Formats: sequence, structure tokens, C-alpha cells
Amino acid sequence: MRLFVSGLRKLARRPATYVTFGLLAGLLALIIVAVAASGGRGQNGNGPADPLAIVTFPGAYDLILSFILGLGGLFAVVYGAAIAGSEWTWGTLKTVVARGESRSRYVVATFAAIAVVAGVGLLASFGIGVVAAALGATIAKVPLDGIGNADALGRLPEHFLRGWAAIVMEGSIGFAIATLARSQLAGIGAGIAFYFGEGFASLFLPDVVKYLPFNLASTAVGSGGGFGGGGGGGGAPVASTPLSADFALLLVAAWLIGSVVVAAGFTERAEITG
Amino acid sequence: MTAELALATRALSKSYGSRRALDGLDLTVPTGVVYGFLGPNGAGKTTTMRLLTGLLRPDSGTIEMLGRPFSRSDRHRLFDVGALVESPSFYPYLSGKENLRALASAGPRTPRGRIDEVLEIVGLRDRASDKVSRYSLGMKQRLGIAGALLGDPQLLLLDEPANGLDPAGIVAMRETLRHLAAIGKTVFVSSHLLAEVQQLADVVGIIAAGRLVREGSMKELLAGEGIVRVRVAAQQVAAAAAALAGLVPAGHVVQSTAEPGWLTVQIAPDRTAEVNRTLANASIYASGLESGNDLEELFLSLTQDPSAVDPDGTFAGLAKRQTPTEVH
Repeated sequence: MRLFVSGLRKLARRPATYVTFGLLAGLLALIIVAVAASGGRGQNGNGPADPLAIVTFPGAYDLILSFILGLGGLFAVVYGAAIAGSEWTWGTLKTVVARGESRSRYVVATFAAIAVVAGVGLLASFGIGVVAAALGATIAKVPLDGIGNADALGRLPEHFLRGWAAIVMEGSIGFAIATLARSQLAGIGAGIAFYFGEGFASLFLPDVVKYLPFNLASTAVGSGGGFGGGGGGGGAPVASTPLSADFALLLVAAWLIGSVVVAAGFTERAEITG
Repeated sequence: MTAELALATRALSKSYGSRRALDGLDLTVPTGVVYGFLGPNGAGKTTTMRLLTGLLRPDSGTIEMLGRPFSRSDRHRLFDVGALVESPSFYPYLSGKENLRALASAGPRTPRGRIDEVLEIVGLRDRASDKVSRYSLGMKQRLGIAGALLGDPQLLLLDEPANGLDPAGIVAMRETLRHLAAIGKTVFVSSHLLAEVQQLADVVGIIAAGRLVREGSMKELLAGEGIVRVRVAAQQVAAAAAALAGLVPAGHVVQSTAEPGWLTVQIAPDRTAEVNRTLANASIYASGLESGNDLEELFLSLTQDPSAVDPDGTFAGLAKRQTPTEVH
């Protein structure tokens, strides 16, 4: 528990936390307001049917969440890699190991703190997105009648939980990659490459890629191909037999646990020379 | 190995690929001393530190720490050990105090108030709230030492602790470490700063090419490395050397080629008067006398050519190297 609380405290003071969150929330707000300000002009047929849908409640709730989960996946990979990699790059892991701390417990506690911060970031981004959408609706003169839609609001907790699981899993991928690379930069680079590589591969091997982390994340939250969403760098999975959201969520959990186990196991066995 | 030893290694070996970093290292560190672990760059000091702190797993050999066997799986042994391995490592965006708080969350429980205590000990209390990214190298080093002291350890392992410290910082560190030894703690200091170790350590171990080439109390080692330098009239050098030859074994009186009239006698410094008396008895009057110990000479003689050291750790190699200017 001490390690977990300490991990949270460290993340709360870490500039990377605010940069990641700020970029995500800032981009979200900027895009929503820009779409609203342009009144949906410039539609080229590749976007959603109605660009103003993102400022039209109650549908805006799902679209905002979908956007966060799409772009947030990339940010989660980078964030997870940054945190895990810095433990090796800065040598702070070495210091706690020399103090007699359990390596695997330290890794798990650090990741648990990341999971909590990711959840808080998801909620905060969503809140900012809703405010931006309301602002955008006002600018675009779209009525705000649906903002209190009970049905849409009732579905949000489940969407949040699924989205949180997906984001945390994506973070765990970056976390594991950086741990294996023992480097912050290498971890971030490899994580980004994996993210876009999966998106690219989904064009050619959709039936294989549907089991890979970023596509699974999209499927699990039911946002595949949604506005700004979709996993694997934004590529929409087009598998011949798509996975159900519930099964995808199960696989998300498997990837999440697997990644943390790999990171902890590797750290436990690693010879720390740096 | 006995319970009186704070630390002991036997036949400790470690290789990185084909490079052998440690080759059967036998260290014996008594309790309650400052142990200076000396060696040139690449001799295996940091590898030893990493093995002692569980960062690495030895290929073979054993480690005993505070009277009990230690391996990487016995991490709880490290609860009584404080360590600073290589350069100090911190979160740059946190303050010094926050870094210590983060460190205190790992390993053994840290008593309330201990963080302020160690900050006081290393003289960082006034800068405790500053971010570590704004610290100088010396301040980071102090914070690293503070981190090592956090658990009030019985055994302190410090890798080059004087790195980056200013003279006042070095003196303060020396006093702190001496104080810790005085209250029964054991301080194991790895360094290549001979003068610093000479002032600090009670016991010295010298490592070269992954092997211990000499170990013993500083007093004993330096007694073996004592020298007395004598200046006589140039025309009396041969006679002086002949007279002094009766005091010391063959080859221990050396005439300086760089400074005519100077002779170097390998003899304990407390026998300086005896040297002077011997010359006077031969009607030779010294115009200059200097005495001292030369850890540097010992270090260089042992580490530049480990093969020159006899298997039993004697100084056969040292005498051999001085024959070119030997007069007796």
C-alpha cells in the first residue's frame, strides 16, 4: 500500500502526467469547438454522417468517449512507457532494489498507480469534452435538450469502466515494452511503432489483428470506427467475424494481466547494471 | 566466516559475457570499521557493489552479510543495509525531501522524522524543498548518502561517495562516516581517491582485475609502505647507502637519480631517528630527512601488475620493480 500511495504521489507531481492529459483534453476541446465553429462545413464523406453530432446531446456523450479512447490509446502507450522506462533510465529502480524492496511488487504497485491516474485522466478528459461540446453546441446553435438524457447518462458508467480497462491495458503495453527495453526513449518509440504498426497491419490481416491490443480496446468499448476512435492508430478493424464487445473485454483483461506479469517477471529476473 | 564480520565474500565471481569482472573475490570486512575498497577503473568495484546489493546475481561464490548468508532472494537482508551504488538516482521533478519520502516507501519502514534527520546530517535541510533537477552534482551526492542512511543501517555500502563533493563536503562526509563507525556501524566505501581513503579507512582492500590483491588494516599496510628519505652530501651517497644497508633488507635503499644526494629507505616512519643515528654513527650528517607512508605507491604497485604479487599477498613484486636504481 505504501508503494502504491507513493506511486500515486509521484505521478501526481510528474510533468508527463499533465502533458499527456493536457494534450488529450486540449486536442479534444479544440477539435470539438473547431467543428462547432465551422458549423460542420468541409465534410468530405470520410467523417461521421453529421460533424455536428459531436456537439449534439445525448449522442455527444458516446462520441466524446469514443474520441478519448481512440486518441487516448496512443497517449496511454506513451505514458505507460515513459513511467516504466524512467525507472530504468533514471536508475530509481536500482535504488529501491538496493533498499531491499521486492522488484515485482514495486512494478505492480507502480502500474496500479498508473491505472488509477489513467482513470482520473479519463474522467477529467470526458468532463472537459462535455463542457467543450456544450460550448460548441451553443456556438453552433445546436439545442442542449439531450444533455440530461437519462438513458444516455445511465449507460455512461459501463462505458467508462470498459474504456478505463481498455486505456489501462494500452498503458500496460507501453509499460511492458519499456520494461523489456529498459529505456524510456526506446520504450516510447517501440510503443508508438506498435500502435501504428497494428493499425497498418489491420488493413491486411484484420482477422489476426482483431486479437491485438489496440483493436481489442476499440472493440471492447464498442467504438470501432467511431468518431475519432478506432484502435491501432485509427485504422478501423474490418474482420470477417468481428469479436463481441464482451469477449473483447475478456481479451483486454488477458492482455493487461499478461503485460504486467511480463513486466514484473522480467524485472524480477533482470540483472540491473545501469 | 564469523558473526563479527559485517561482510564477507568468498570466491565471488561474475562475468559479463566473455569478460570476467570478478574472479574469486574474497573480502573480509570486520564490524564497526570504515573499510576502503580501492581499485582502478574497471577493477570490479562497482560490480562488487551491485552483487552486494542484489542488483546482480553472482556466477559463483558466496556473500555473507551481517552474519548471515545473502543472495538475491534474501532481499530482507538489505533492510539493515544502506547503499549508494554508482551515481545517485532520483526523480528530477521531485524535491530532495519528496525523493527521500518516495524512497522511504520502499523496503523497511522508516521512522517518522528520519527524513529530516538524514537531511540534517548531510547538510541539505535548507534545500530540501528544491527540486532535485536544480541540485548540483555534490548536492545530489549528499542526497544519495542521505538515502543510504535512511534506514539507520548497520552496514553502509557507498560507491565513490566523495564524487562531486567540495572540500567542505568531503570533510563533513568523512566526519559523518567516522562517527557511524564509532557507534558500531560498518561503512564500506568504494573509491579510487587514495588520499581520501587513507584519511578515512581503518581497513583497506585493494582489488585489481577482479581479484583482491591486498587486504588489511591501514596501519599495517602503510607500515609496510613506510619510507624515510635522507639527503646527504653527493660524495657521501655511497657511504650512506652502505651504512643504511645494515638497517633494512637488501634492495630497500634506493638512490634517487632525479634528485642527487637523496636516498630513499623503505622503513617504518617511526624508525626515522634510527636512520639518522645510523648515518651519524658513520660520520655522515643528513641535511634533510623526510618520512611518510605511500598508499599511492602501494596501490600502483599492486594494481598495475597484479601478477607481480605473490599468491600469498606479499610484496615480492614491489622490491623487484625498484632494482633499476638499487644501490644495496
